[in-house]
Formats: sequence, structure tokens, C-alpha cells
Amino acid sequence: MSRIACLVVPDLAVAAACRADPALAGLPLALADGTGPHATVVAAAPVARARGVVAGRHSVAQARAIATDLVLRPRDPDAERSAVRALVDVAASLASRIEATPDGAVFLDATGAAHLVASEAGFATALVARAARVGLSARAAVGASMTVARLAALHGTEVVAAGTELGFLAPLPLACLAPDPALVATFERWGVRRLGDLARLPIAEVATRLGAAGAALVRAARGEDERPLAPQTVAGAVEETIGLEYALDTLEPLFFVLRALLERAVVRVGLDGIGVARLGLALGLDDRSRDERVVPLAAPTRDVKTLLTCVRVDLEVRPPRAAVVRVAVSAVPDVVRAAQLGLFTPPGPSPERLATTLARLTALCGPGRVGAPVVVDSYRPGAADTAPFAPTPDAGEPTARESDCRLVVRALRPPRPIDVFCDRDRPDFVRGDGLGGRVVGAAGPWRMVAEWWSDVGFARDYYDLELTDGGVYRCYREGARWFVDGVYD
Amino acid sequence: MPSAAAALLDRLGRPGGVRLGTARVEAIPRLATGLAALDEALGGGLPRGRLTELAGRRSTGRTGLACAIAASATRASETIAWIDPADALDPEAAAAAGIALARVLWVRPRNRADALGAAEILLSAGGFGLIVLDVDAERTGRAVWPRLARAAERTRSVLLVLGSCRAAGTFAAVGLELVARRVRWSGGPGRLVLLDGIDARVTIARSRVGRPGRALVVRQACA
Repeated sequence: MSRIACLVVPDLAVAAACRADPALAGLPLALADGTGPHATVVAAAPVARARGVVAGRHSVAQARAIATDLVLRPRDPDAERSAVRALVDVAASLASRIEATPDGAVFLDATGAAHLVASEAGFATALVARAARVGLSARAAVGASMTVARLAALHGTEVVAAGTELGFLAPLPLACLAPDPALVATFERWGVRRLGDLARLPIAEVATRLGAAGAALVRAARGEDERPLAPQTVAGAVEETIGLEYALDTLEPLFFVLRALLERAVVRVGLDGIGVARLGLALGLDDRSRDERVVPLAAPTRDVKTLLTCVRVDLEVRPPRAAVVRVAVSAVPDVVRAAQLGLFTPPGPSPERLATTLARLTALCGPGRVGAPVVVDSYRPGAADTAPFAPTPDAGEPTARESDCRLVVRALRPPRPIDVFCDRDRPDFVRGDGLGGRVVGAAGPWRMVAEWWSDVGFARDYYDLELTDGGVYRCYREGARWFVDGVYD
Repeated sequence: MPSAAAALLDRLGRPGGVRLGTARVEAIPRLATGLAALDEALGGGLPRGRLTELAGRRSTGRTGLACAIAASATRASETIAWIDPADALDPEAAAAAGIALARVLWVRPRNRADALGAAEILLSAGGFGLIVLDVDAERTGRAVWPRLARAAERTRSVLLVLGSCRAAGTFAAVGLELVARRVRWSGGPGRLVLLDGIDARVTIARSRVGRPGRALVVRQACA
């Protein structure tokens, strides 16, 4: 027998607004579908409802007249979407088959969940506790069907045991199934006021008189679903979005907003015990354009401070071109690197500190100027490139023997032009920027012709020249011109 | 019980019983240079948490010796950083010198001031066994050295500053000076001539953690 759990947040719009701005919790909050006095109140917090504000009935002006201390905010669909995504993440941390409905309820297949949590009540409690971690006050229940689980969650029952569904549903009012008003009037005439009364009606007769909608209501009153659970794929990236009431034109207040978003994203990612591997930032700008960027991270992390530092550095280096009105953070999760230290190997920089350090260094030096050096597969002497720096305990084996001391070349990038005076076709005197003198030792030439198949091909005659200024240089002649591209040091 | 207390007092020392001149000097951890003679002269290697200067004019083998020290560090599984504002490091030459490039963080600042800033960032990050600052120390302001030396003291990193002459003064724990003795060429008249290497004389010009004044010859061979 299948068991279904339902995770639902009553007053989702209000809960999402309070999640985006925790200072609103406990206030007489009302959400409107616009900003003018004629906008309609679409959701009201319990405190506002207690003062007489009714969602869907009152305009903003009327609501203000009813409750003078009313806190009015425009409804934020982005925040609601983030809240629903957070609920889905909570569900995904405990189940693999999940369905999220458009009204914000999330259903989970709780069959076989005993290996995770000892009891179904414990399963519901775990869901509620994890929802609280992502900033949502949710309710959860387990039942035989989606209908039973949802009604149980909304009416404060954690578990409806198998076989007791009809007994649980019987005393509930007909309105809890949100039927069509015309059907409600008909059922009223028939004297049907509770689900138990409705469940006792023969489906075929009801279908004959009221059509498919009536039959569906009877089946719902018996705790039967119209369709089975339709599992959905949970997206990989965790997104947190917020629409701002007014445009932010300086970075410091933006960091406050980003901190809250990152904290929420990290909690959601942390539900599965993993970290943020890549961070995307999408800023809606005041000039109706978008600023999208990917913030590089050296290693997956759950450290909000590290993430914020990386974002801060990136924004300071490339600030948005206009004031920010909407912020979306997208965190791609991955397994946090387990740093396995050897007993006899020295500890390297911690991944979190390394991510921050690389971000700061990149901001200081510019992109592409910080990383691990890489030997480029090229014939061009001195060719160099960098790769992302991610040292591991077994990274790279050195090639030279112990106690070797090799003479290395200091590259001069780009090669510097020099004047070389020859005697019987042998270099005799060299003059250039920062170097010069008579040649006292020379080797070469060595002909190097490479990359002739490309636009940057070259044909050079290389010489090693020791000058009277004490330096030993790697020089080359290309055509009639001479260059120095390295110093032996 | 009294005998146990007396035994503890004997072991830990009795109040007022400290003999002057018996204080134990804590050994400074070292990073081996990989060159046995130099390690022996330095008393085990370069001192960690200190600033070391490696000074020498052009073609005295300064970069080669720094690469040898870096290779020794990566052989010991250390993570190292190479700050290179002149963009002078040749990865191929570094690999040939024995450096495990995957363990090297190569930082290429655009100017000297950024290079010093990068050194402070790396020192504050911790975890790097060796930080090579390849900046001409002679042209660097004096105010920088106490700051870098203090930053290094809070870490287990060796801060190795390369330059044409020593400039950090008393803030360097060790100062090594290189002087080229001769450039070696192989071959001769009628034969192919090749650059064979450089012999350089390394002098421990300054040492706060050992005995200065010792000198040795380092032979650097072409790869």
C-alpha cells in the first residue's frame, strides 16, 4: 500500500514575504497585487486578518482604513517561487519521488521511508523541522492518498493510519475541498454538509445528476485521488530570488541582500550534505537590462562568508552598470571536497580559505593571471598558460632528482629588440634596453622553424650569449632583426 | 601522596628554583632547500615563518636556486606560491627543475605594489609552505618589509624574496647572496659549443637563526 506525505505552507505568499524579509514576521502584513490605493489585497497575515482585513475583498485604501498600522507590501512572485523551490528541496532531501503542485503544496512518496525515519509521525516531524531550517513554517502529514495527506496537513493531523481515512475525513466540512459554488448550493439542498455525508452518496447517481465534477468530489470525500502521484525532476541548481522595493545604487546594501540570499541557498544545499560548487548571480537592473555572471569558486563550500567574499570581489571588480532592482542567486551543488590529510604530509590551504584567496588575488591581478602554471604544447620558447589551481595530495610528481640544481631561463615577455653587431657573421657586441656589452661567450645558432602552418609561424636562429655585463642571454635573429627572449639565471 | 607531589615538583621545577641560562630555546621549523650543503650551512634549511632574501645580480643562478628550493618543497608535498610581477617564470624550465607545477600557485600581478599586496594576501591565507616573491627588492620601499615579516611570523610559510641586492635589512631572518664565479661552456675550437651551466658562490650574508658568513659553491647545470 502506498503512503503519501504532503508538505504545505499555509498562507504561502505571506510566508514567502516573511522569509525574504524576516523583520515582517509577526506584523500586520498584507500583500497587494499592485502599489496604488486601488490595488487589491491578495494575502494577509493572521494578525492583519484578526483586525478585519480580508484578502480578495478589500482594496489597499480600505485595508488601511480598517487597520491603520497595516504593513503593506507588493506581492513578490519571485520570493514565492523561491519558497516553493525550498519546499521541494526539503522534500527531495527525504524522498526521491516528489510532486509540487501550482498552489505550493509538495507531495512525497513516503512508502518505504521507514529506513530513514522510524515512524510516519517522525517523517512528518522531520519534514517540518527541515522546512524550518530553510525559513518556512510548514505543516506535514502522511496518508494513503494525496487528498488525505493534504487535508490532514491543513487540519493539524500528522498521520492518518491506513484504513481510517473515512473516519478522519467524515467530520470535515465540505468547504475544505474547495468545491464549485454551484455544487455547494446543490449539496446544501440535499442536506450534505460534511465529507462523511458526501462519501456515502453513490458515485454513479451523483455523476448522472452533477456530472464529472460531482463524482470527483465524492471520490475526494472518500480519500481517493483523481490521478496518481506524478513525480517531477528536481532541478540541480538551487535558486533564491528577491525583487527589491527600490533600486540599490551602491554595493554595500546589495551585500546585505546577497548575504540573506546566500544563507538561504546554502541551507537548502546543505540539506543533502553537499556544498556550492558554482555560483551564478543574475541582477535585474534599473535600466531594464540584466547583469548575469558566474562567480568562480576554487572548491565546493557551504561557508557563506567565503561565498560572500567571492561575490563581493567579483562585484567590486566589475560593478553592475545600473542600479539593482532584482537579485537572483543560483547555487550549483556538488559534493564538498573531503580533505584527506596524510600523517606525514604538510597541510595545504583549506578549500574555503583558498577560494577566498584566489578570488582576492584574481581581483588584484586580473583574470587569467592567477592559477597553476601549465607547460603549453608548443614549439615557441617561453610559451606559458595557467590552469585552475586546485592542489590535491597526489597532485603532480616532480621530475628532477633530489639535490639537482638546474639553470633556468627567466623569460622576457614579450621579447625585447636588441642591436647586435657581428664580426664575420658571429655576434660580437650587443646593445639593448637594460643590457649591453661585448660577447665573451657564445653558442649557436640553432635554427628553429615552427608553426609555419599557422599565421604566427616563425623561423629563428637562436644564440646563447654571455656578455661583459655579466648576463647570459637567450637571443634570436628573425629576418634582419634581433631579439632577446630570456636570461639564464 | 607527598611523594607524588614531590615527584611532580621535581619534574616540573620548584618555585624559585629556576636557574638562569637554562631556558630552552624552541627550535625553529625549517624548510629544506634540497641542497644538502646549503641545508647543512643553514642549520637544516630556510626558517619557516620568516623572511629570507636571495640576492644576486643577473645570471648568478638566483632563479635556478629558487626553483631548486621550490622543487624541494613540492617534493615534500608542500603547496607553494610564486609571485611574478615580471611574468618571468617559464613553466617548462620550472618543470625541468623538478617543480610539481600542480602544487604551484602562479600569481602574475601587473606591478610591484600589487605583488606586495598579493604576498600579504597569500600570507594571511596560510597553508603555503613557500611563497616566492620575485620582485626587485632594491626598488621596494622600506616600509614594506616589517609588514611582510610580521605577516610571515603568523604562518608556517617561508617568504623567499628574490632581488638583485638585499633590501629588507634587519627584517630578513636569512640573507643569501649569490655571486657568479664562472659561466661554463662545453666544446671548444672546431667543436660544437654549448652552454653547460653556471657556478655561483652562495654566501650566508645574514642569519638571525644560525651562524652567518659561511659560503659554498653551487653548480647549476643546463637542463
